[in-house]
Amino acid sequence: MYGDLGIKLVQHAKRTQNLAHLPPYQTELVRAVTREVRDLNKDVDDLLEPFQGSFDPSEDQAIAYTLLVNHISMRRNKRCLLAYHRTRTDKLEELVWNGVDVVDLSGQQVRDAGASRGSTGVASGDGSTSSLSPQEEDYVRQYGDLLAAYKGQWTDIDLTGSLEPPRDLFIDVRVLKDAGEIQTEYGAITLTKNSQFYVRQGDVERLIAQGYLQKLS
Amino acid sequence: MSYYDVDAILTDAEKVPCRFELDVPYLGHLDNSSGLKAGTRLNLPLWLAEMFALASAGQDASPPLTLSLPPCLSEQVLAALKADPRAVPLRDQSAYFYGVAVRMLDLFDEKELSAILRNTFVVRAADVGLHARKAEETGLGGQGEEFLRGLDEWERRLFRRGHEGVKGAKEWTDNVKKS
Repeated sequence: MYGDLGIKLVQHAKRTQNLAHLPPYQTELVRAVTREVRDLNKDVDDLLEPFQGSFDPSEDQAIAYTLLVNHISMRRNKRCLLAYHRTRTDKLEELVWNGVDVVDLSGQQVRDAGASRGSTGVASGDGSTSSLSPQEEDYVRQYGDLLAAYKGQWTDIDLTGSLEPPRDLFIDVRVLKDAGEIQTEYGAITLTKNSQFYVRQGDVERLIAQGYLQKLS
Repeated sequence: MSYYDVDAILTDAEKVPCRFELDVPYLGHLDNSSGLKAGTRLNLPLWLAEMFALASAGQDASPPLTLSLPPCLSEQVLAALKADPRAVPLRDQSAYFYGVAVRMLDLFDEKELSAILRNTFVVRAADVGLHARKAEETGLGGQGEEFLRGLDEWERRLFRRGHEGVKGAKEWTDNVKKS
């Protein structure tokens, strides 16, 4: 029945709301729903064709109600599509504010791919390596730029920084991923995986947020 | 209720029983026949049924479809709710029980129904709050599990909020003691 595919999409959105990460983009489902809208629109055109623009609803109620059903179904599909994408962009914006990299998101998909393919039965797309659609990747990039420009106005406040006041100036951190060399006031440190450092919190805050380092208490 | 609200969209997907009052030959796909006949009964999702019941072509034409209350608001369910709201697993009736009920009350003028529902929510909300407070100690489960499984989506949200509130307050008092 019309609208059933849209519901599937919204159920995906509902699940997304409760997840910490972003599940793969449902390319196939989105395409199927848009196809349904196009089919419905074609039906409407076919029904109206013989009237040549002079259709009177009260004269042929059967056709009028068929048009109504098609129209409402199209509107419903539109709402499902918009809600799905909005849920995802909300999530993406949240991730950008938390300082997550788009590259990280793409990497995430490698871990999720096996599980989601099996359980949902819907392929995440044309074998792409990202859980985002190309448009979404673009969106994240541009939103990130926007946020950076916004933050640039206040150089003495880090808007995306932690709200917790630090207890100590220096902290112990463990390196989870190779992060290369960083410059600090006390010289350069090379962060190699599994090593441990005693560093100034302000120097490594970003790297902790990005998941390169882990703070040890 | 926002246009983008996922829960609102899922509420709208709940089916309601309707009866067609008109022959519509082109809509056979709705009940898998070659064409809808007047008097056909079928279950349509709320988003379709509502618009349809309100629509009418021409000034005094009657709507092409009459709605009736969905099974989750049937006499039996309401009687059970009147007897003891806490004993009815609302989720088994509909995951969006209150959502559907509110939408139906927009369409039907049922004073008694709204009174029953209001009482149901008030009585159950007290219990939801109680369980949310005690969930920490008993661990999700125990005697309340049965009741909690029967919560509808709205009540679940209430439960989660209550639980988070208790947890947040506890964390805060622990922190105050420490520092």
